[in-house]
Amino acid sequence: MLPTGGVPFLHEGGALMGAAPKHVWGRSLLKGQCAAADLHQPIAPPRRRLRATMEEYHRHCDECIDGVLGGEDYNQNNINQWTASIVEQSLTHLVKLGKAYKYIVTCAVVQRSAYGFHTASSCFWDTTSDGTCTVRWENRTMNCIVNVFAIAIVL
Amino acid sequence: MTSTTAASLSIGTADGLLETEKNAGESENTYILRPVFQQRFRPSVVKDCIHAVLKEELANAEYSPEEMPQLTKRLSETVKDKLKEMGFDRYKMVVQVVIGEQRGEGVFMAARCFWDADTDNYIHDVFMNDSLFCVVAAFGCFYY
Repeated sequence: MLPTGGVPFLHEGGALMGAAPKHVWGRSLLKGQCAAADLHQPIAPPRRRLRATMEEYHRHCDECIDGVLGGEDYNQNNINQWTASIVEQSLTHLVKLGKAYKYIVTCAVVQRSAYGFHTASSCFWDTTSDGTCTVRWENRTMNCIVNVFAIAIVL
Repeated sequence: MTSTTAASLSIGTADGLLETEKNAGESENTYILRPVFQQRFRPSVVKDCIHAVLKEELANAEYSPEEMPQLTKRLSETVKDKLKEMGFDRYKMVVQVVIGEQRGEGVFMAARCFWDADTDNYIHDVFMNDSLFCVVAAFGCFYY
């Protein structure tokens, strides 16, 4: 059972040394694939904050996809750049929010047709602190599905 | 020689099942900040595992709109369970499965991750037959 008090994880058997210097964590995260925002005092984010983060992201994502794909038709030559730019803009926006999460953003763009397309995901994580958000967007010729998985870093 | 009897925590899926197991009375702090090599999320090993699952489940599969939702979910749960069995103790994992009808329509998928590139990794695998295509992406994030 998880302990009460909103702390999502037991630290027994975990990796947390009391004196783990913050800069070690900061340095290793910055090796990630995106320019990190300044992460001052990241704290273990509770679930409602995650939900708020995801909702805000949801709104931003719709605008972001509109900006990239709005009014365009499915074009095999450009699809590479479009998906890359959607994903990069999403990730940059999420990182700028400055929360202590690791993010995974995936985007699938399908030509709109009579043919079926299904996606499912299964996650092995801490349900109290980690979460996901899915945004679906479509126009006349394309369907776009953006998935974001946010995994908390508990310090 | 490090004795690493870490407490093993298994956290359930996004439907909210939770179990916490500990090795009976033996849990000690391991003070490990980085994964042991054997327990790293190694793409080659994981890819073989996923490939085997796909071949087994989808060898004779035909696309049918009624069954596909359950198949997709079942596949993602199966892959996730297989990965759990492989012994990535300190990893949180995300498995995404995409199945579509094979009719020559264009699909493009991209992913970007903001994580610790030292410890975290991902793999993807594609399976195609005459009636469907299936893409599985598995991401592993180290839990500090």
